Amino acid sequence: MMLSSMLVLLVINPAAVLSEMISASTDALKLCIELCAVYCVWLGIMQLVELSGLGEKLAEVLRPAIRKIFRVDNPDTQKIIALNLSANMLGIGNAATPMGIRAMQALDDGSGKANFAMIMLIVVNATSIQLLPTTIIGLRASAGSSNPADIILPTIIATFCTTALGILLVFLVDKFKRRRR
Amino acid sequence: MSAYILPILFIFLFAYCLHKKINTYDGFVAGAKGAIKLVVEIFPYIASILIAVALLRASGITNFLAEILSPVFNLLGIPTQLVELVLLRPFTGSGSYGILQDIFLQYGVDSYISRCACVIMGCSETIFYVATVYLSQTKVKKLLYAIPVALVCSLAGTIVACLICKVI
Repeated sequence: MMLSSMLVLLVINPAAVLSEMISASTDALKLCIELCAVYCVWLGIMQLVELSGLGEKLAEVLRPAIRKIFRVDNPDTQKIIALNLSANMLGIGNAATPMGIRAMQALDDGSGKANFAMIMLIVVNATSIQLLPTTIIGLRASAGSSNPADIILPTIIATFCTTALGILLVFLVDKFKRRRR
Repeated sequence: MSAYILPILFIFLFAYCLHKKINTYDGFVAGAKGAIKLVVEIFPYIASILIAVALLRASGITNFLAEILSPVFNLLGIPTQLVELVLLRPFTGSGSYGILQDIFLQYGVDSYISRCACVIMGCSETIFYVATVYLSQTKVKKLLYAIPVALVCSLAGTIVACLICKVI
């Protein structure tokens, strides 16, 4: 990807290569500083959610759904999945990642193939069940939006559609595969 | 109306912490501490991907791709200005934040295009990144149907997002 674009640039504008690269990495640094501010606020809030025991309660609420959707019975694995989903719902993908990795480890059966629960977890994470798109709201606020939170409702509707479709498709493909076997 | 959601949730959280007799200040500080570490960890990824994306854009390759594909996307109700974001979203989370920032600057934060872009960002994920990182600590080599299903859902979400933003 980088090579092909460099080759094209070599022909049309060789002087632009280094300057483009450096200006991009400057942009990256600026973005990181902004993201750092956003994460600072949300990680602080998340810590309070955890300390107050609300996180544990959230996991309790999600448990029945997790049992049905992921077909997982192990309570420890259920809790890790619940925490992963909760962080996702709050829109903090980076907080969800460590939980996702732990859940995958717990679900791994060593066969080298992804099993039903693992595929479901990938699809659910990939369709991003966000109730509060916090990072985006933060970025909108710092970009000077007049109402940074007005994308909450559309996002909830869209994310509900994609996640429902994802879960449905995984169930359907799984059923189809079993029938063929 | 949705402007009230966050403040109310925060007030509820702080009140609940008070009720549980938790030191909110210390708790908040402890959580916020992780932010810099997290950003330091992701900076190289953001920088590399932004550099790659900048080169791609400067060379005109993304424009070319977006131009070829935009009739197809337009047919699905996705505006041409968003094609680049839709194409890069599955690969790079931080890179797509960069593109989002560009869209903010170019069209204004509160424009239809920007709001659409935000909803698309909210209902999709960096599919390839998630799959790689999540499975990095397992023995799984075969993902079976996980990626195709995720991509189909992402596209469906994008179409829905563009529709909803016209209404709300």
